[in-house]
Amino acid sequence: MDSGPLAVHLAVRQCINTLSTSRDITEVTEALRTAGRYLSGTEDDPPACQREEFARAHYTKLLQFLISNLNAHWLELLTPEQHMDLWVSLFLNGPPDQVLLVLLDCVNSCSMSSGLERGLDVLEYFLQRGRLSALLWATCQGPPPANSPQLRDALLSRLVALPDLLANRLQEHTRPAFQPLHYYPLLARELSVALERTCQALREEMFGVLVPCLSALTQSDFVWKRVCWQLVESVPDRWMEGVVSGLVQTVDGSAALSRLLGNVVLKNKKAQFVITNKLLLLQYKYKTPMLQSLLGYLAEDSGRRPLLIQVLKALCGTWSSCSAVKHSPIEQQLYISKALLICLGLLRDSEVLEHREELLQCMLSGMQCHLDSSIPRVHHLGKVVGESLSARLDPGGTRLQFQYELDTETKELLSLLSPPPAHQQPPETLPPDSRTEPAPKSPSSEREEGKAGVPAARPIKQHSSDSELDSDDELTPYDMTRDGELGGALAPRYIRDCLEALTSSEDPGKVEVSLGAAEGLIKKNPAATREVSVELVKVLLHLEDRFNTQGFLRLRQRAMVSLTVTDTLAVTGYLTTEFYSLNYSLRQRLDILEVLALAAQDLSQPTSANSAPSKHKPPPLIQPVSTETAPDLQGTGQHWRRVVDQRIESKTRRFGKGAPRTGSSAAPSRFAPVAGCFFFPLLRNYDRPQVTFDLLGSDHLVLGRLVHTLGVLMYFAVNAPVATQMGKALLDFVWAIRYHTDPVVRQGVLFAVSAVLLSVPNERMFSELSDEMLEARAWLGDVAEADPDADCRGLAGQSLLLLEKILKKSIGSPSRGPNDQALQL
Amino acid sequence: MGPLLSLSQFWFLRETVAVVEAAMALPPPDPQFVLRGTGAPVNTLHFCCRNQEQDKPLLFSGSANGAVHVWNLRTRRTESVLEGHGGASVLWVQTLNSRDALISQGRDLRVCMWDLAEGRSVVTDSILTESVGFCQCSLLDREGGHWLLAVPGADMAAVRVLDLPSKTPVCTLKPDAKLGMPMCLKLWQPDSGSSPLLWAGYEDGSVSLWNLSERSLLSRLACHAEPVMSLDFDPGKLRGVSGSSEKAINSWTLDGQQSLKLQDSVELVNPGISYLCIREDRRILATAGWDHRIRLLGWKKLKPLAVLQYHTDVVQCVAFSDHDVPSKRLMAAGSKDQRISFWSVYNQI
Repeated sequence: MDSGPLAVHLAVRQCINTLSTSRDITEVTEALRTAGRYLSGTEDDPPACQREEFARAHYTKLLQFLISNLNAHWLELLTPEQHMDLWVSLFLNGPPDQVLLVLLDCVNSCSMSSGLERGLDVLEYFLQRGRLSALLWATCQGPPPANSPQLRDALLSRLVALPDLLANRLQEHTRPAFQPLHYYPLLARELSVALERTCQALREEMFGVLVPCLSALTQSDFVWKRVCWQLVESVPDRWMEGVVSGLVQTVDGSAALSRLLGNVVLKNKKAQFVITNKLLLLQYKYKTPMLQSLLGYLAEDSGRRPLLIQVLKALCGTWSSCSAVKHSPIEQQLYISKALLICLGLLRDSEVLEHREELLQCMLSGMQCHLDSSIPRVHHLGKVVGESLSARLDPGGTRLQFQYELDTETKELLSLLSPPPAHQQPPETLPPDSRTEPAPKSPSSEREEGKAGVPAARPIKQHSSDSELDSDDELTPYDMTRDGELGGALAPRYIRDCLEALTSSEDPGKVEVSLGAAEGLIKKNPAATREVSVELVKVLLHLEDRFNTQGFLRLRQRAMVSLTVTDTLAVTGYLTTEFYSLNYSLRQRLDILEVLALAAQDLSQPTSANSAPSKHKPPPLIQPVSTETAPDLQGTGQHWRRVVDQRIESKTRRFGKGAPRTGSSAAPSRFAPVAGCFFFPLLRNYDRPQVTFDLLGSDHLVLGRLVHTLGVLMYFAVNAPVATQMGKALLDFVWAIRYHTDPVVRQGVLFAVSAVLLSVPNERMFSELSDEMLEARAWLGDVAEADPDADCRGLAGQSLLLLEKILKKSIGSPSRGPNDQALQL
Repeated sequence: MGPLLSLSQFWFLRETVAVVEAAMALPPPDPQFVLRGTGAPVNTLHFCCRNQEQDKPLLFSGSANGAVHVWNLRTRRTESVLEGHGGASVLWVQTLNSRDALISQGRDLRVCMWDLAEGRSVVTDSILTESVGFCQCSLLDREGGHWLLAVPGADMAAVRVLDLPSKTPVCTLKPDAKLGMPMCLKLWQPDSGSSPLLWAGYEDGSVSLWNLSERSLLSRLACHAEPVMSLDFDPGKLRGVSGSSEKAINSWTLDGQQSLKLQDSVELVNPGISYLCIREDRRILATAGWDHRIRLLGWKKLKPLAVLQYHTDVVQCVAFSDHDVPSKRLMAAGSKDQRISFWSVYNQI
């Protein structure tokens, strides 16, 4: 179509006409949509030449028209979505330089009105949606336009002086987004984004053009191959890394890579270092296909195969190194695991046999490190890699088997093993993505099984036929499917019966019913409970899930928590002593901590004496961590009541229904007087290792939970007189372990510190804990910057923020406490 | 070739029918009606429905509050309430030949004879049983206005047999071995021999057969591991059945040499049988279960036929009516939930 410019001209003219004259909302939206299509239309709808023409010659005109009609009546008629989709997007999708100029002109020319407000709204969107970086990027790209110097100057001066321009015009009505405090950091960020894009584009452009070209040429032509090899080999050492890593990232598949690189990895030390060391062990930002082509390249040629073995050993070393597992970020561990699995997939059986001993050693020590880790993902990673390793080492024999969930990460990892070692196909026939798919063998084999299965129908029962000829089968049986097991034993009515059933009963139904009834019985008769509380908590703590009771952990935990709440002194005394005593499993110790934390929560929450229905209760801050949830435990009992309540509520009309009564009448906290009994005994013995329990040694999972629990207790002790002493003791305690190697412990420490910050009254904190606070501030800053664990960094940042806030507040108004803040962790 | 073919076809048809039947099995029936108002758990039931034309059909029920209720099954109301055991639980009721003479056993250690003729309700006589257990008595009609009554004895292991109405003791049966208390009794007059026999189920789970005239133990079979709760015997087939607190019902046979053999065993879903009873036509066995359910089994093969669910507590007794028309013979079940349910099952043949 050669009349392109004319068509655009006509279309834009028509749009403007419609917008200025029409009173029909559908016509208006249609016109806006037509204009929008030139900016963000589909591929061919307005042809590319027309779009360019529009952007070059008509866009500014259209914008100016829109701006001059900011008070147009049809703007009021648009729904908020239409306003955003049709009108605002016209400003956000077009060439940003024109938009900025038009908008700033508008601000200068308009008087204060709702129209100006709209213009400012658009400008704010413009800044928020990252259009500044688009602007910068657009000016970096392409040849400068004809009127470039003036336009550039105008743009630059406006970009730099935007806050001043707006402030001059709007006086004190200027918006926060336009103030220098917000604007200049934004501008700086956008600058850096644009710079990064520029850098990236330069690199990509170079290799993006060169590599496919070379790759195609070398495929058939040996001379080109030689040229390429020579080219790569004669790259000076300083630039070798850039060339190699660029090539590796852009090349598609290991065969192409080996055609381009040749044996440079054997000839050039620098290239060897980059390929075998830097790209694999030091950096971890690359994608999996790159790993596959890189390792495939090493495996391709017999001369390079020793390097593959060397790489494998290095990877094994890193994978099985405890300190690497502890200190390197999880992404890097994932990267190394991927590389290791790809290597395993590429190894030949003979090579596996040759290096079996070393691999075995690696597997054993690596497994231990990974399984010791308290981060579930690392745990998981260890299981997957360990399983694959052992399967590769002993294909027919015994192998490790773990239970883990098959999530996407696991599947991806396992699929990396799939290119079989015998199957050394060049990847032109096998694009890298198809490797990750499962082998297409299974459906056909399933079908065969199915075929065999269909004709062999179920053997018909024959034995019963003749014997019944003379029997009483003229009596037709009724349906007996409802004849199920009777619903078990009767629930005990007294706490002592319950205790007895739990200690001595062998009847699964009875134990189950007793466990279910325990919490209710404990609460029903506190006096009777106090007589047996310690005995009962002992039984519950040692209770095993012998009968696979549904919801066992939860029931047991609830019973223990309500025991602790009912007879706090005795039970906490028992539990805190037992926490440090001999011969408990980790699970039991963790249970103790969980029970103490939950009991503290229960105690700290205000009770209403008439046991208000749980509907109005705020959701508990601590959710039980056990995965086993039993929603229908109380469901059957509570369900109908809830349904009835809801129905009544829906049918009830209330006149003058005010704000819902929160119904939290003031009551003394039940936790404050006993907080010390929970807290201090737990701090007593932590540094005394025992045969079965070494808190500061190998049992760091428990240590992490302990610190976390202490933090929870601290948090609930807010407003208690003892809070200051608790805070002091807690800070002393965590100070010793603040650089613990396990991130779980560090997270616990950070949590505990923020709990101290929240719970200890400000004035006490600065009178008694000022030294600790200063140290903590320095340390928090340190962690927030340098900790390898992302969660730790985040937590530290939050704590630091909290600390600063408290500092500022206490300087401002020294009398107010920080206690109204919620724990945001 | 011909008969073979038809036979195989027959077999195939049967199989098809069985499959269809299994797929389309009817839901178990609901009770015909329910009697409430005993005010206490129902321990025992006894029908008296003969001579419908002249008399109203009656049901006697004994309950834990010591009352014997006389129910009119036509109006489904209580005719009268007999209080003769001083509030002690009534374990057993039976009529003596006619509806005017009733015998009831209570846990006040007494067996009472009632005169109910012409609207009277008087205790005419009583026997001291001296047994504190829960074992029910058993009555056997002999010619000439005499009855034999087997009563658990004062000595824990013994069973006394008395002659009624003279109350003269016939014999006392005490096993030599330690079998524990008798749990259930059933007197039986075999057609051939002249001497009446007594079935007794004991605490140790064994079933014994006693000869009354020789006062000797004819046979003993240890058929349960738990106390025998109830037994019944079919004199036609010389075959009996017993239930205990276990999860099984066992049937046993008596051979020509008067020795007992275990024959069959049916596994139950839930443990505990409190009472079992063979219908008069010997086609159906009914059991009262601790699992609140009544089970019906074909008597020939002990094939499970139905599980009747209505009661909300332990079913303590079942009884079949002695109505003149077989198709109107109902089954009644009394439960600890204080209700008596009536069922019409397998009557339409």
